[in-house]
Amino acid sequence: MAEELKWPEGNVGRVLGRALPRVDGPDKVSGRAQYGHDKRFSGMVYAAFLTSPVPSATFELDPAVAFEVAGVVDAILVADGAVLYLGEPIAAVAAETPEAAAEAVARLGRAVKLTERPWAVDREQALDKGNKAGLGRQGNVGRERTRKRGDVLAARNTEFPRIAVSLEETYTVPVQHHACLEPHGMVVEYDGRDFARIHGSIQGTFALLDGPPEVLGLPAANIEGNVQHMGGGFGSKFGIGVEGRVACELAKRLKRSVHLFMDRETEFHASGNRSGNHATLRADVAADGRLITLTSDSDKLGGLSGGSYAWHPYMYAPEHSMVSQRSVHTNTDGNRAFRAPGHPQASFSIESLLDEAAYAVGQDLVEMRKRNLPVGDDVDAREVDDHATWHRHLERVATEIGWYEHPNRSAPGSASWLPDRPVAVGIGFGLSVWGGGGYPGNQVEVSLDRYGNVTAKVGTQDIGTGARTLVAMVVAEELGRDVDEIAAQIGSTQLGMGNVSGGSTTTACLVPAVKDAAAGLKRALLAKAADELGVEASTLELRVGGDVGRKDGGVALDWTRACQLLGAAGLTAHGVWQADLQASGVHGAQAAKVEVDLLTGRVQVLEMVCMQDCGLVVNRLTAQSQVQGAMVQALSYALFEERLIDSDLGARLNPNLEAYKLATMQSMPEMKVIFDDEDQRGVIGLGEPPAIPGAAAIANAVHNACGVRIRDLPLTPDKVLMGLEALRS
Amino acid sequence: MNDDEPPPASLTRRSFLRGGALVGLGATAAAKALPVPAESSEAEAELAEPRGRVRKGPQEITLSVNGEQRPVTVEPRTSLVNALRVHMQPPLTGTKLVCDGGNCGACTVMLDGEPAAACMVLALDAENAAITTVEGLGYPLVPTRLQQNFCDHDALMCGFCTSGFIVAISAELARNPKATDEQLAESCSGNLCRCGTYPQIMKAAISAVRGAR
Repeated sequence: MAEELKWPEGNVGRVLGRALPRVDGPDKVSGRAQYGHDKRFSGMVYAAFLTSPVPSATFELDPAVAFEVAGVVDAILVADGAVLYLGEPIAAVAAETPEAAAEAVARLGRAVKLTERPWAVDREQALDKGNKAGLGRQGNVGRERTRKRGDVLAARNTEFPRIAVSLEETYTVPVQHHACLEPHGMVVEYDGRDFARIHGSIQGTFALLDGPPEVLGLPAANIEGNVQHMGGGFGSKFGIGVEGRVACELAKRLKRSVHLFMDRETEFHASGNRSGNHATLRADVAADGRLITLTSDSDKLGGLSGGSYAWHPYMYAPEHSMVSQRSVHTNTDGNRAFRAPGHPQASFSIESLLDEAAYAVGQDLVEMRKRNLPVGDDVDAREVDDHATWHRHLERVATEIGWYEHPNRSAPGSASWLPDRPVAVGIGFGLSVWGGGGYPGNQVEVSLDRYGNVTAKVGTQDIGTGARTLVAMVVAEELGRDVDEIAAQIGSTQLGMGNVSGGSTTTACLVPAVKDAAAGLKRALLAKAADELGVEASTLELRVGGDVGRKDGGVALDWTRACQLLGAAGLTAHGVWQADLQASGVHGAQAAKVEVDLLTGRVQVLEMVCMQDCGLVVNRLTAQSQVQGAMVQALSYALFEERLIDSDLGARLNPNLEAYKLATMQSMPEMKVIFDDEDQRGVIGLGEPPAIPGAAAIANAVHNACGVRIRDLPLTPDKVLMGLEALRS
Repeated sequence: MNDDEPPPASLTRRSFLRGGALVGLGATAAAKALPVPAESSEAEAELAEPRGRVRKGPQEITLSVNGEQRPVTVEPRTSLVNALRVHMQPPLTGTKLVCDGGNCGACTVMLDGEPAAACMVLALDAENAAITTVEGLGYPLVPTRLQQNFCDHDALMCGFCTSGFIVAISAELARNPKATDEQLAESCSGNLCRCGTYPQIMKAAISAVRGAR
């Protein structure tokens, strides 16, 4: 590096750190943005899956019966004589139209002969000693792992005089679906010759080259992966999946383009989920709210996969802790990453327990949290003081939500319905922690032609975060040009390497590499100008608008003339990731205010406030959308979402958007997002942390409103009513 | 078009189906679209003795989409959303298919100005309607006020629900230019957004009303 690259002083530059609309917004609002699902090619066929209606079975099926349906061109088995999870693809058909494909799937459904095997679809079945599904090391259970700090058992004796309250409670969360609006799938654009282009709905452009070369029998260099727009992933779209392998296989067999996107029912049970959880926590608490001991034993319910659960005591620091986790397997699809994998589950249980303990010892909810955050030796070696940051965030959200004027500060409100009090209002809190940060990979090219056109190219993808816009913004800032003067090309494996979008790392991986490339282009342009002018390049600078100026004053070459110097070859510069422009480790706090209808049990969230640090906020508008979107997903998780499977029949009960409830416009609270502008650590990451504490904060707010503690998400009216009834009688 | 079209009646099976298809997009819209028979005896007579011909196999029809007459070959089972997205040449893919059950609003189009879930309407039942899709509402460089507001307020992230919200709210604004905040929220209460852009969508819609005043 010729010079040290730096972000703008105070995190705000001419372009960076400001609120700018996303560059692909006009295409999306006008219906012109083409997603994988929208791709159409001459001769393309539509493929669909037959899925298993039972959790585990062997099967017999002659896929050729699908040809009884007019328009069917191919039918293959996807599973090898047996299925191991409810909704697992058994076979696939390809037809001239989606209608014919759906009819053929129904035809195969009537033809398949299933012989059920022992199965388990929920925790109780999986733990039943008589259950023969055999999915784990012992029965259906995986290895238990434990972590200890201090000595919980000894402390219960030695610290006995300090223990004011002991509590033990069990907290459960259901399986949550990603419910991406664009389902999992891809279009394989292929005509039987030596080149294929794959249009995928995926979180990593380059993941489209992982698998297809082998299935298509083509060298990777003869395949282009393409992701211009994709309709949501949230962690579930890292690989090509069974849908990608089957689409490629059908394309190879037919020598035709194939459109294979899951229908909604298939999507719900065969494309991953946020694992459910069953956690039992026990705490011994001092009168001042300090957690003397904490034990936490959790069963992760990730179907055939291990499940995900952040380790307790999470960001808190009890004096002694003993934590165990194990996987309890069922015959359901394996969990996948889902926006802060394992964290919302772990947050719900620990934040709920903290509130229960606070009320039991009569401590303020904010003070309770502050008292149990790590101090001194417990702080990880980071660039910021975790303890002070969380304290600052907590105090701010408490102030913003009106905690210090709230009547229920020392005890929850009453469960009693009165004519002048038909609803109860409560406030709750939760904290978040996340890593983020970047790593090498992205290869960015920025070029300038003699007409002044600037193009930035990198193969990365925009999963809705605004990555395409950030590329244009960073180049615009560096070159003094406007954002709409920069063409940002992304989403192709024919461009430079792009990292996958996962772990809130996209921006911290991408933006430093873009800046490196743009700075390189700026240096090269100034060198050209210096040659022309016969001066040292170090005496020149690039100004707003792109004009080359002399550092001692005056314009030396305007932008147009400077570009004309470049000739037909133009200028090109490349950039790679720069560790100094990014960091990792973020903190957040959220507060929720809810209204509980004391007659119907309905919960309406009135207000949510989030304070979050994330380093440099590259674009305030898209960053705010990220945070609000995460809060909305947490609200939806808290109030509505739950996968339902009939445990007697082993049947899917709500594999559709009618019975699987998502938050709508009618459930929106007032939302406030506060970025921690004291954070000057460079780019870090933002997508996941604000998705963590919302559900816990809302559950805590319900308790604060009317005394009903619901330890099982979602917070549906029936549970609230039963809780109210129990308190009243 | 088809020559042996039954004469218009106050309650044809076609208009009845179309009305039924609106369920799930908000009770207001459905109630407006459901025709009320002038004389129930006439309706009963029609139900007892259905008129019109049975249509089987591929049908060459013409749909009126965004002011253009668009020929398309469909089957009786073909939904309007698939007619637009798959069978029409060139296809109109701005309308998205998400739930295929009238639950999410992503495929919202206007039929004679009323919002409808195109996955719940048979293409044959849309033959006599003026269909408006998101492509008929503006262009990337010439957006409508609402579309511009969506961009300015960042009322979209992945963008897969966006077309449906734009059409649903545009239909409300067309018939109710001074819509209240509650009416705006109601107009898109049948639309789902998984990225969680509802607060920004609300701002964009409210700005469209205030800008129009």
